[in-house]
Amino acid sequence: MRGDGAILQVRGLRKNFPVDGGRHLVAVDGVSLDLAAGETLALVGESGSGKSTVARCIVRLIEPSGGDVMIDGKSILPLEPRRLAGVYRRIQMVFQDPNASLNPRMSVRQVLDEPLRLHLDLPRSERTARVRELVEMVGLTSLHLDRYPHELSGGQRQRVGIARAMAVSPEIVILDEPTSSLDVSVRGQILDLLLDLQQRLNLAYLFISHDLQVVRHVADRVAVMYLGGIVELGLTERLFGAPQHPYTRALLSAAPVAQWGVTRTRLRLVGEITSPIDPPDACRLVGRCPLAQPACAAAKPALIDIGHDHAVACPVVIGGEAALPSGDLQPPVAAAATRGF
Amino acid sequence: MSGELLEIEDYSGAFRSPTGELTPVLHDVSYRLKEGALTAVVGETGSGKSLVALSVLGIQPASFVRRSGRILFRGVDLLSLDEKAMRKIRGAEISMVFQDARAALNPVFTVGRQLADVYQLQHGGGRSAAMKQAIEALRRVSIPEPARRARQYPHEFSGGMAQRAMIAMAALICEPSLLILDEPTTGLDVTIQSDIMELITDLCRVGGLTTCLITHDLGIVAETCDEVVVMNAGRVVETGSAQAIFTQPQDPYTRRLLAASQLVEGAA
Amino acid sequence: MSPRDAVGEISPELGLARPVRRRPKLSWSMRIGAGVLIFYVAVALISVVWTPYDPLTPGIGDGYDAPSWAFPLGTDRLGADMLSRLMAGARYNLGITLTAVAIAFCVGTTIGVIAGYYGGAIDTVALRAVEIFQAFPGLLFAMLVVQAVGAGIVNVILVMSFVGIPDYLRLARGEIHSRRSWQYAEAARMVGNPPWRVAFRHLLPNSIGPLLAFTSINAAFVALITASLGFLGLGLGPNTPEWGNMIARGQDGVMTGQWWVSFFPGLAILGLTGAFYLLGDAISDLTDPRRRR
Repeated sequence: MRGDGAILQVRGLRKNFPVDGGRHLVAVDGVSLDLAAGETLALVGESGSGKSTVARCIVRLIEPSGGDVMIDGKSILPLEPRRLAGVYRRIQMVFQDPNASLNPRMSVRQVLDEPLRLHLDLPRSERTARVRELVEMVGLTSLHLDRYPHELSGGQRQRVGIARAMAVSPEIVILDEPTSSLDVSVRGQILDLLLDLQQRLNLAYLFISHDLQVVRHVADRVAVMYLGGIVELGLTERLFGAPQHPYTRALLSAAPVAQWGVTRTRLRLVGEITSPIDPPDACRLVGRCPLAQPACAAAKPALIDIGHDHAVACPVVIGGEAALPSGDLQPPVAAAATRGF
Repeated sequence: MSGELLEIEDYSGAFRSPTGELTPVLHDVSYRLKEGALTAVVGETGSGKSLVALSVLGIQPASFVRRSGRILFRGVDLLSLDEKAMRKIRGAEISMVFQDARAALNPVFTVGRQLADVYQLQHGGGRSAAMKQAIEALRRVSIPEPARRARQYPHEFSGGMAQRAMIAMAALICEPSLLILDEPTTGLDVTIQSDIMELITDLCRVGGLTTCLITHDLGIVAETCDEVVVMNAGRVVETGSAQAIFTQPQDPYTRRLLAASQLVEGAA
Repeated sequence: MSPRDAVGEISPELGLARPVRRRPKLSWSMRIGAGVLIFYVAVALISVVWTPYDPLTPGIGDGYDAPSWAFPLGTDRLGADMLSRLMAGARYNLGITLTAVAIAFCVGTTIGVIAGYYGGAIDTVALRAVEIFQAFPGLLFAMLVVQAVGAGIVNVILVMSFVGIPDYLRLARGEIHSRRSWQYAEAARMVGNPPWRVAFRHLLPNSIGPLLAFTSINAAFVALITASLGFLGLGLGPNTPEWGNMIARGQDGVMTGQWWVSFFPGLAILGLTGAFYLLGDAISDLTDPRRRR
């Protein structure tokens, strides 16, 4: 699933924010990934990992500081902001907070009509038909069309957000934590809707989340981010079953499972996340990692392929010294959900 | 240690709108908190779980009107107490930790000062003794360099650290018999969440503190809690031991909630 | 479970209850304020076609006639009818105020929205300019500029609008700036809006509350400053039946017992300013975001 078949390619993406005193906050530090049509790549990380920034840089809601973003092999970064409209017909975004992502003064009908008007320039009669089609595609009815966001539940609002993204029939959809703000019971419905739409419309999803359980349910491949860089990248089951990078292991071992009688052994990272301001050229986990060696502080580790479509950015693990001081390497294999159940 | 410390009995109430209409939000809510146990109250948004907790402390919103019911703490109906009596109970007997710790702390005072103030309020004594206690409390919740941290302001704390400070204030400085935590880990990174939950369970087990954890995350409930109360739309749907609820859920809502939490397709 | 199967089971997802849209209740302050203002506007409009006597002609009465049936509000020192002058004055005070506010609102808001959304150099320049403007007290500024550019109603209106522009600019800039990183602003870009449309079509309508509320405070202030300028004899001709001017002309009479010459214009100004303040209260209540519409 690499290279040529990719509909979206990101190479060496960087984003810095200037802070006081001439220093820079490195939010994204050389991220590269490929997304093929019809597949779901999850971008996982905690706060400060840079995953949301990556998403926004890809669609140029934030301008990247460096690197390249290509759709079908053509870079979209040199395009003038005015020309981005064409790009937004191919790549769309579903936002996290259904309360904040809909204009409070626009009815559902207006929200869905706008992209049809601006991007596709359809005549009114076609727009009306398409709006109805969109609303039914996401499981709502035409009775919802004249409602305003505050008259809808959280799940309904998110459905509208999804319909809005689908309006232009994009090929790539970036989902920025689409279920994080929703109630547990609604989460499953929305995820099912997203999977359903993906299958029907052959969409490529870049799925951003901090929720490992959700990611395991929807993703084909997973990229784990920490402080602006990808530390591990691989097929979902492989990554969850046998995580390599110490951070991935720490993350997976920290996630609680909603089942009785499950015990887990945590791989602990010491202390709090280190500062992203003017970081040194070293592994970002230095100072927190139980496997740290002198080589780790010498240079920032590159993401290296270790076979089976799996890549890790950790010289210690690649060098074969993956033994932990004590305890389990693998997270417990409780009967959690898998795709294609 | 198997008595009941707190008993909510048929508690019902409604919200009064500015025009005077009443919208019922709680319907005969009843549950008990066993002494020394860690009880989880789970439910989604709008289930009323937080509202009941706020009522226990007497800090429910002014627009909330009680229709019926009692809240018995060691046999005394808290709802019948006046404000003065309630103030004696808050902190000294019953304490609460809220969701967003950095917002709950006063931004213009150092963290150490705030803990010391609460200490003096609860136990009296001089400023320097109180400050010593404050630093000790910070140390006990595993905040590194507690003396330096005590001199910092809330905005200099990370989310997880601020939550630890709040727990220090509510559980250690205050020394209550009952600690209520309202979504203490929501919004925190999962690794930090895990750390905070360990801290809470430690305090509960080691200190014998009766703890009530309000949450919508069934994962942490499964791993840490003894008893569970499930609420939906203002009603208690099911109660029982954590093991019973997870292995043999009786109520259809509980089953669906479990299924949704596990993201298992086609569950009962 | 497909989405359709799961619908309505755990949470009432597809609740199709009729949504309740409450009409805002009109408070007393709004009714009084609006009523007074409408009254003033009516008087001004009527005065275009009819006044009891010609407001500009002196000598109709003997001079300093007390209020009577012939002259309900008396006459001024030169014998011109007070009621007619008062009615005509409404055109000036009200007209200048409303026009100046409208101009200030449009210009200030537009620049503020642009500065708030785009940020950068435009923002910095706009803010500094506003700060310089606001370093001068409003009345002093108005006086200086009117003296400099000369008399005439157009000049007065323009000067009055300048007094208000900085505040609209600041307000609009602040509101837009705080909203521009909201997700619906990002979404608006994704659906094809160029940046200026995101700012004006999406963000501005959601920010309109404080701007509208400020309009009435601005109007009250402008009304006062207009009258003050007139009182000082600046900007408009000496015989203009502008209320401030009329107060000035009646000053001598106050000491000697001919109170009506200054009193009624003063009352008129008080009424106008008060009406604007009452309306402002009511508008800010109505546009309070906590009152879901």
